[in-house]
Amino acid sequence: MTSFAGNLTLLISLFFSISQFITSKKNKNLKAVSYSVVGLLISSFLSFFILTYSHVVSDFSLLNVFQNSHTTKPLLYKISGVWGNHEGSMLLWILVLTLFNFFIFKLIDKKNSIFILKTLEIQALITFGFLFFTFFTSNPFETIYPPPSNGLGFNPILQDPALAIHPPLLYIGYVGFSATFSMSVAALILNNSESFPWHLYLKPFVIAAWTFLTLGIALGSIWAYYELGWGGWWFWDPVENASFMPWLLGTALLHSLIIVEKRKSLKAWVLLLSILSFLLSVIGTFLVRSGILTSVHTFALDPSRGIYILAFIALLGSYSLILFKKKSGKYFNNYYFSFFSKEGSILINNILMVVVCGTVLLGTIYPLILEAFTGDKVSVGEPYYNSTVVPIILPAILIMGIGPLLAWGKQEKFKIFKKALPSILLTSLTSICFFLFFKTDSILGIAGIILGSWIISNNLLLILIRKNKSHSLGMLISHLGVGLLILGITGSSVWQEEKIIRMTIQDEVKIKNYNILFKEINEIKGPNYVAIRGSFFINDKKEKLITILKPENRFYPITNNFTTEASIHTNLLRDLYIVLGDGNFNDGWVVRIYLNPLVVWIWIGALLIFLGGVISMKINLKKLRF
Amino acid sequence: MKKKILLFPFLVFVLVLSIFFYLLLIERNPSKIPSNLINKSFPVFEAESLITNKKVVSSDIFENKIILINFFATWCKPCRDEHDFIMQLSNKKNLKIFGINYKDNSKKTQVWLEDLGNPYSDVLIDKNGKIAIDWGVYGIPETFIVNSKGIIKYRHTGPITKKIYKKIYALIEEAN
Repeated sequence: MTSFAGNLTLLISLFFSISQFITSKKNKNLKAVSYSVVGLLISSFLSFFILTYSHVVSDFSLLNVFQNSHTTKPLLYKISGVWGNHEGSMLLWILVLTLFNFFIFKLIDKKNSIFILKTLEIQALITFGFLFFTFFTSNPFETIYPPPSNGLGFNPILQDPALAIHPPLLYIGYVGFSATFSMSVAALILNNSESFPWHLYLKPFVIAAWTFLTLGIALGSIWAYYELGWGGWWFWDPVENASFMPWLLGTALLHSLIIVEKRKSLKAWVLLLSILSFLLSVIGTFLVRSGILTSVHTFALDPSRGIYILAFIALLGSYSLILFKKKSGKYFNNYYFSFFSKEGSILINNILMVVVCGTVLLGTIYPLILEAFTGDKVSVGEPYYNSTVVPIILPAILIMGIGPLLAWGKQEKFKIFKKALPSILLTSLTSICFFLFFKTDSILGIAGIILGSWIISNNLLLILIRKNKSHSLGMLISHLGVGLLILGITGSSVWQEEKIIRMTIQDEVKIKNYNILFKEINEIKGPNYVAIRGSFFINDKKEKLITILKPENRFYPITNNFTTEASIHTNLLRDLYIVLGDGNFNDGWVVRIYLNPLVVWIWIGALLIFLGGVISMKINLKKLRF
Repeated sequence: MKKKILLFPFLVFVLVLSIFFYLLLIERNPSKIPSNLINKSFPVFEAESLITNKKVVSSDIFENKIILINFFATWCKPCRDEHDFIMQLSNKKNLKIFGINYKDNSKKTQVWLEDLGNPYSDVLIDKNGKIAIDWGVYGIPETFIVNSKGIIKYRHTGPITKKIYKKIYALIEEAN
């Protein structure tokens, strides 16, 4: 019954996506288009709802529920389990896609109807592609007979609140780029660059996609930080890269759009970036889903799925990029601008972002290229990225600090210096403070601290003296967030301290200024797991108790998995991070202790970037009178 | 000039995608690990035999014959799955099969071999996994083929399936 209803809603969605394509192509009857758009939204919502409901009530007659759920699973994870597997996550993807589709439709008025209808036409094609894929190769409504009495359970490391909302946020990001993709393709097809301000429509969608992608990546990072128990928060995993690449292009796109708006330049560049951001988002999905690369995110190895997604990407990419080659000529102009101007700084940053993106792409697919040609297997990891990405990103950060101080057009260099003087002083002051506190001689550390303080002081001062709204508040807040993020990244990567030792009860160990006492170990029972939990008493130099950390080692009997739960004490200066490893009473336990300076600023920074994005989104939607 | 540059994104895109297509179409296992030992001589070892309880040195085993080395354990479910195939291989002439009993309980192994049949010419005990480390074993079951000159010719990680069985069979035929 549920299977029938689910399949029916998917078929109805397919029908509406076709009808949306036809009605918006005909461009006659706006009512007919609106029926298709709303119908598509409702039917996709229903199919998503039906699957969620089946997961919540543990309807094991559905193969998808049987494979990914269990009656003992807490409600939150029954719901997040819906998108914790390939088939269900496709439904979520489609739901977000139809939501964006609906928002695009809501923008329609007399002046822009040709452009919006063209966009909806492309969106309908994309939606159809994903629906078709889901229905035929990844159908979540497949049944199993007779229904088993219980499910196989859900990978316990995915049972986590941060990870429960991580995929929806990422999808808003990825799918948001579908809207900008469709709009860019529509702009290219219509070829009316002068008469119609298509870039104004692009902007709120780019900001939305980019903002949510930022938050999604940050949450994934937080999860990796405390759940994987490796003491770090970014591992250059292919799938992390898959989300990072569209983010980089999105960053470039976002800033180029400002130049289009203010200086009527870089139009062709914007179109290319917005096409590539979406293509990279889908290629990212492909890398994850096809099993072509192995990672924590690989759901299921099924070549037929891979072939389908790949064929779909080939179609989308070839069409849009050839269209770009043919039609973009009209969008070029020979408007040059000076290096010392706002647009100059944005353009340079743009190029650097694209270069970083290219570098990450190369690192991600290089093992695949090499294997295709020679059959050798290599893995590209942190050393590659550290030595390639970091040197490119450092100048980008420096320029990012200067950019907002510069004016549009030409400017005297001395004036710029005068403007920058207060923040130069503030930067020197804060850098010296940091320097005295951490007593570092690491060049990377010094560079990170100076650049971070530079961005922070610039934006902080601009926020404080913002009089005539010459700067957008959203931009300043986001940039401030980036500054804090840089501080956090520098602190946690350059000054991290790590201790891996074997400890028995009552053992003591010192890390920096802290004394750590292994007090006891207990067995505990959770809703769907059993665990041993260690108690570590943390004292400072004056032997004052700061906190008790309780890392756990969990066993989930249903899926037969072990997980480690790190226990973390956070303050504004550092995280104390303890992971309990293997062991027993006689030999003791392997204990890993990390002191990670400034980590919390990474999360605060990401949150500020998100907030700034939300503010900008509101302002840019207002420009469209939405 | 400008026109040609515009084609560049498309060309890069086509290149990347063709590589993906190629990798999807060839039969490949992304978790497969190639061995550095291929075409090199086998790592020497010394171990106690489960059957005779005597010390065995690797040079005793490799006596100008094709050898199949199979790392297994009773606690390993995939090992049970592949056992039938190893039994079938043991009927082959010109082939000797040796089992390396990886981190296991000897009593349990004896019962296991009685129940399921013993395809091995000898079973060597690798109590602390030292032999496995020398051979670069990634996880059990794992199977190696060593030719009559003592050179490792083939390595398979994971259980022997029907497909792998055919491959191993062909390799042994070829070597004869």
